[in-house]
Amino acid sequence: MATEKKGKISRQALILSGLALVLLVLVIIFFTGGGEEKVKRFVDATVPKAPATGGEQAATRTVTLFFIADGDDLLHKEMREIAAGPTEADEAERALAALIEGSEKGLVSPLPPQTRVRQVFIAKDGVATVDFSRDVAEGFAYGSSSELAAVYAVVDTLVYNFKSVKKVVLLVEGAERETLGGHVDLSRAFFPDYSLVAR
Amino acid sequence: MKTLRIDRTAAIAALLVAAFTLPVPGLAAPAQSPAIRTVVIDPGHGGMETGAKGRFGNLEKDITLAVSLKLKALIERDMGFEVVLTRDRDVDVSIENRSATANNHKAGLFISIHANGAVQRKAGGSETFFLSLNATDEETRRLAYLENNSTDLQSRIDPSSDDDLMMILWDMAQNAYIKQSSRLAELVQGELDAMLGTRNRGIKQAPFKILTGVACPAVLVEAAFISNPDEEQKLASADFQTKVAEAIYRGLARYLRANE
Repeated sequence: MATEKKGKISRQALILSGLALVLLVLVIIFFTGGGEEKVKRFVDATVPKAPATGGEQAATRTVTLFFIADGDDLLHKEMREIAAGPTEADEAERALAALIEGSEKGLVSPLPPQTRVRQVFIAKDGVATVDFSRDVAEGFAYGSSSELAAVYAVVDTLVYNFKSVKKVVLLVEGAERETLGGHVDLSRAFFPDYSLVAR
Repeated sequence: MKTLRIDRTAAIAALLVAAFTLPVPGLAAPAQSPAIRTVVIDPGHGGMETGAKGRFGNLEKDITLAVSLKLKALIERDMGFEVVLTRDRDVDVSIENRSATANNHKAGLFISIHANGAVQRKAGGSETFFLSLNATDEETRRLAYLENNSTDLQSRIDPSSDDDLMMILWDMAQNAYIKQSSRLAELVQGELDAMLGTRNRGIKQAPFKILTGVACPAVLVEAAFISNPDEEQKLASADFQTKVAEAIYRGLARYLRANE
């Protein structure tokens, strides 16, 4: 009898504490708006939005991607429609994904095809931080030329298209990395270099 | 990626260098560089880090070592310099340790040897790089400091120091030598063009990690493209490797004669 009562009480206590836990989680979710997405919005909050192209319904914007071509050593522009907004960081992620996916006109992407864009942050001071999956470094056995092309295709694509971006920092799997393949110094932010863009 | 002719950064860097080397009242004019005793040669990549790969299976790390050993032999035979290699076999060496080798041996010249790789199969030719400066205001101030103190940079920076400022100075070490590095690149590239019979891609500036921390004139030579099947076979041949070493040797010799 005594043990049965004790068992009932502890079962009730268990249910009660379970309910309390669920409530607590709900309250936390309510106030934080849920994980990662919120963090990104917070970072972007002070960045001016890209001007809407067309009316309220305009759901896409045109970006210029920088690819390489078989016949020369230059970067070549290619226009692409991507989904617009809500923030420039979201658009920047889509532009880089399109750059990795490759050209629609026979040009070549300078980034390893399996690379994923994990996140783009754009800070108030104009520094865009791009976080790639490890494939960006491990997908190619880079030489100086291919490494420079990979880095500057990313940097030029971001600075050329997004007004709030002045400089670009590259991360791999959320961490700083010395180089992608032993050549180009990733420890500093890159300014764009349009000197080898085909005219 | 940065061609010298049309690069705005290069123009700014040149202006900065010119500004800081003009005699300023109250500041000592930079003294002549001390006599060069040691040349440090850096065979690119090594060990697990293979560098670029050729279609026929040749690896950048093997070619850079072969050329470096030939260059070392040439310098030791014909010049009175000590030659130090950052690696003399197939081992991993961090970029930091490579520049530390140069600085600890008080290198007078630093040559990093590489074989190029491009996504484009047809890309070919030789090119010689020196460091590009993406100087911000803060870095410009540090550059001013370095320009006025470059001759005794070695004695001012204790390599074992943990002090943050000292580490920053090491990180910027190459900035004080951009003008000399550019001249060295020009002379080496001229000889590569004359001897190799491949496309001359000229001298370029790039933010290469290996060059940033080296406290002496420093260049990175891309002898040919291992990603180009024709050039890969050249790079793998002892004859072509000797030509590359000979061309770099001649470029060094011309630089040294001009600075005597």
